[in-house]
Amino acid sequence: MKRKQRTEILISGSQDLAKSLANEIEQNYPVTAIQKPENGLVMLKVRETSKKSLFYLGEVLVTECKAKVEGKIGIGIVKGHQPELAYHLAIIDAAFLGNLPETTKWSSILESEKQHIEENSKAKNKAILKTKVSFETMDV
Amino acid sequence: MGYVAVKGGTHAIKESVKRLKYERLQKQQVLETEKIEAGMRGLIDQVMSESSLYNEPLAALAIKQAEGNPEEAIFLLRAYRSTLPRKHCSQIIESEQMKVERRISASFKDIPGGQILGATTDYTHRLLDFGLMKETEELIREWLTEYEAENRLNEEKLDAPDILLPKVLDYLRKEGLIPLRENNDTEPDDVTRESLEFPSNRSQRLQILTRGQTGAVTSLAYAVIRGYGALHPTVGELRVGNLPVYVGHPNEVGSEEDDYYIGDVKATEAEMLMPFMAEKENGRKELEFEIGYGLCFGQNETKAIAMAILDNCLEHPDNSFPSHNEEFVLYHIDSVESTGFISHLKMPHYVTFQSKLDRVRKTKNSEEETAERQEVRR
Repeated sequence: MKRKQRTEILISGSQDLAKSLANEIEQNYPVTAIQKPENGLVMLKVRETSKKSLFYLGEVLVTECKAKVEGKIGIGIVKGHQPELAYHLAIIDAAFLGNLPETTKWSSILESEKQHIEENSKAKNKAILKTKVSFETMDV
Repeated sequence: MGYVAVKGGTHAIKESVKRLKYERLQKQQVLETEKIEAGMRGLIDQVMSESSLYNEPLAALAIKQAEGNPEEAIFLLRAYRSTLPRKHCSQIIESEQMKVERRISASFKDIPGGQILGATTDYTHRLLDFGLMKETEELIREWLTEYEAENRLNEEKLDAPDILLPKVLDYLRKEGLIPLRENNDTEPDDVTRESLEFPSNRSQRLQILTRGQTGAVTSLAYAVIRGYGALHPTVGELRVGNLPVYVGHPNEVGSEEDDYYIGDVKATEAEMLMPFMAEKENGRKELEFEIGYGLCFGQNETKAIAMAILDNCLEHPDNSFPSHNEEFVLYHIDSVESTGFISHLKMPHYVTFQSKLDRVRKTKNSEEETAERQEVRR
């Protein structure tokens, strides 16, 4: 599973999942924190739709961490102040970069979490879509 | 009279800061930041937008420390922001990717995906709800349980997990009523890194507008519509929702699939339609539309619409109207700059004022001497 989809699941899903996957790696390999979780900013670059040019919307607070596992340096970066999650994400990133055997069986776990996230999202959307206007033409 | 440098006031300042704390605490109530975050969504969004820093807990803390005063909260957040390193710049965020929670158009009734009202005060009676004074956590839980039960997924099929909708204005583009544009990926300027110089460019203008003080941006846009400007806008599309944010790996060049997802930010986007007479071949004139663009953090609909109006004003400089003058608009809408300058007038100006006073005294004395001389001559 590619990083984009993986991080979407790990950040949008339960934090316990990232914790359990990272713990699995920590039990089997030595993990070094290259950069402890620290706060920083990510500047948001957006496209406006009038002239299709780019501008900066503002900055978002993030927590970033770097961890080394089996010679590979993984990065964990997440919106807000979430040091534990950033650390777990960094370990998981390093594990995937090093193609560690544990990662092969993670695909199904991540897919199952994705299903769960989608179900929650659909329930939220059901409520939002109830606010869709149904127009009726009036006889004048 | 000579001027003397003075110092002092340390003790008075210390006691003044204590007094400020007393004002916040005297009613012996602890205002938890979690409660501010949970119940003051509008103020949180406004503060994040004007401080240009997206983080709800920090906005809540700033609001608590500032005792609910937005200008002070924004000042605190801007100051805090300046202490943090900028780790990355995001990949380009396209608003078509917004996970929509509300989307309306005032220009077209039937739009693909429909008019989704979402959460809005637009259709509420503006009557004080005294029941809120007796709201309890138990009542809240009951209401939430009922609401969640109403919206539990049963047998119905919802195709996609996110509500992604096409842009309303794409239809006008297809009809040729709005000029088609290619993506312009020129790197934007950053007004937080380089001071603004005139003439400004589009990226600078939009960045200043989006972090502008809500009241100032709204007032100037209102002035435009009342006649101190040359625009007649209509809301083409207004959407509120979550924009997913991705960053690339700092050292590796990879595909989009190798990006890091870091979370969503809630934003409001307004695309305003502005009719204008376009010059065609042989001096022929045709009515076309331009888009004024507004995008800001949180659910700040009035601000996003006002930003879009001012964006279009500044695209058409016209010194007959202050609202079309970039220096007038861009230099006066920033919360920290405007409130900072006005409030600095409270700071000691003893020397400058004494100098003015001296001049007044001298003028008065010389006038009196002249009058006396004239009296003697008579």
